[in-house]
Amino acid sequence: MSRYLLRQLSLLLVTLWLLTLLAFGLGHWFSGDFITNTSGIFPEDIRFADVAEARAAGADVFSQYSAYLSHLFRGDWGVSLLDGEPVFEQIALRFGATLEIALLAFILALLPGVPLGVIAALYFRKTIDHTILTLSLSGYSIPVFWFAQIAILVIAIHWGLVPISGQINPLYEITPRSGSIILDIFLEQPEHMGAALHSAFAHMVLPICILAIMPMMLIIRLMRNSMLDVLGQNFITSGYAKGLSTARVLWNHALPNAMQQVMRQLGTLISLLITNTMIIEVIFSWPGLGSWLVRSIYERDYPVIQGGLLVISALILLITIALNIFHAWRYPQVRKDLYAAS
Amino acid sequence: MLLDIRNLTIAKDTPTGRVNVLERVNLQINEAEIHTLVGESGSGKSLIARAIMGFLSSSWHIQADRLWFEEQDLLNLSAKQRREIIGVDVAMIFQDAKSYLDPNLTIGEQLQEAVLDQDLSGGFWNRRKQRKERVIQLLHRVGIKDHSAMIESYPHELSEGAAQKIMIASAIAHRPKLLIADEPTSTMEPATRQQIYRLLAQFHARHGMSILLISQDLGAIMKETERLTMIYSGQIMESGSTRELLDAPHHPYTEALLNTSLYQQAQRPPRSRLPTLAGTEPSMQHLPIGCRLGPRCAYARPKCVQTPDFTKKRDRGFACHYPLHLEDDA
Repeated sequence: MSRYLLRQLSLLLVTLWLLTLLAFGLGHWFSGDFITNTSGIFPEDIRFADVAEARAAGADVFSQYSAYLSHLFRGDWGVSLLDGEPVFEQIALRFGATLEIALLAFILALLPGVPLGVIAALYFRKTIDHTILTLSLSGYSIPVFWFAQIAILVIAIHWGLVPISGQINPLYEITPRSGSIILDIFLEQPEHMGAALHSAFAHMVLPICILAIMPMMLIIRLMRNSMLDVLGQNFITSGYAKGLSTARVLWNHALPNAMQQVMRQLGTLISLLITNTMIIEVIFSWPGLGSWLVRSIYERDYPVIQGGLLVISALILLITIALNIFHAWRYPQVRKDLYAAS
Repeated sequence: MLLDIRNLTIAKDTPTGRVNVLERVNLQINEAEIHTLVGESGSGKSLIARAIMGFLSSSWHIQADRLWFEEQDLLNLSAKQRREIIGVDVAMIFQDAKSYLDPNLTIGEQLQEAVLDQDLSGGFWNRRKQRKERVIQLLHRVGIKDHSAMIESYPHELSEGAAQKIMIASAIAHRPKLLIADEPTSTMEPATRQQIYRLLAQFHARHGMSILLISQDLGAIMKETERLTMIYSGQIMESGSTRELLDAPHHPYTEALLNTSLYQQAQRPPRSRLPTLAGTEPSMQHLPIGCRLGPRCAYARPKCVQTPDFTKKRDRGFACHYPLHLEDDA
């Protein structure tokens, strides 16, 4: 296991290093001045001379890269070309908002997704199975932005059940600290905390539900297939031969083994979820990383693009590796598959 | 009579119509008897075992005059009632034992599952401990001395022989009256096979457990086997006590099998032709009518297109119109 951990860790470090190389390279490849692209300071600016010196302008690429790295580690990721806001602070503030809806959507996708997949597998090729499959296929194939707009039109505007966009009613005057609105409410301790929380949840419901649809449909299909696969395995038969009840065979043997196969796919699922989160953030004006990054791409705000690329790739990378490690820790025979020896 | 099967027919629907995969199978197993069922692969041996255990899905059509276990008709029981009987009194071990162990649970956890609640005493607080003790006991009984390492092991870390021992330990946890062993040793080397057979024979001798051994090799059966049943292509050819059946087979199929055994070959002059049955086993789509051995049988006559009845003579049973080695006492 320790060897496996080391390998995963080195994979993480090497990939992160490659990412910094890419981000650094982007500074050169983007049109315009390298110093402006990475620091966000225009040549007309008073500070430009200092910044250019600190970032080793005019020197060779290696000293530029090392200067870039030292800035990166110090948390000096430059400022936005548009509004002069420091990139790192903005990321820290928006990261929480993105993670909040992505995480909640993921949980919302897992909770019904897993049991529905199991049910579909247990009623293989019966009406229930067909119904679930049809629903999941249609849910999977409808684009998320279309879904979101229809939901806003019907649920938020026509029925008026929930607010259209934003994180919370601005009347509550919650200062963003962590980015996650629920956490911020608890940090702020406003006068009408219950009402503030209620407003925050009302704003959250629609984006989270829409975000959850696609991963849920995928989980249903993955779960159904892996459950079908596991139910045909010999150790299920021997479970029955031991005299175990159907419930115990399912719970002790079928489900954990089926989850193992689903777990392998969760990494790809999460990167899909993050991409969808960015779209949803734009539609619902959710002040997260996604909407900010989309805007910056639109406006060619290079320091922001660089920072956002770094953070989102690092996030997906971290999640994937964390999942790998959890998978190997939870399922011992995987470690054997990886080395062909214990 | 522990297990009494009369005229068991199992059919499956195929695109070309319903096929009787098993046809009017008769099988009787007494208390404390080792019974071996011999047949080629695809002859339906495992199907009989699965029908007894109730593992067959609804796509199989099962019909029988009798499928009795201890005077109880298994076919008339609900799935739950059936599992209560089968789960406790009948156990089964399989070929390729490793795949019958859950890859994600330790051996200890899997064996604990097999321990019956009724074997434990006291409150729930010391049940865990009792279960563990019982697992260690079971491991010792199948000849695994290093129990602590075994309990922590995962199935992929075991050899095929060790995995089969674990399956046996899990099977005997219930003290079953009947153990069905479906080719338990076919993937093992002879030395390991003898170990497993010795274990099974021990439990048979000590606890009076009946064993239904399923084998495809007449040369690799337990020497303690008291009765043999020969099955070919879903029909029972012959059954009887081991000694008599091997000494004087009534059925041409048994004789043909015996003729190809190593012992018989040694008796023959060198370079002589091995007497085998002509042709190959029929596929399920092209089953011959009547006696399914008919097209390959050296003694076949026109009457063989009618399925011969399963005739009982003293302790023997056979399904052949023209039995061999039979003193004419009619």
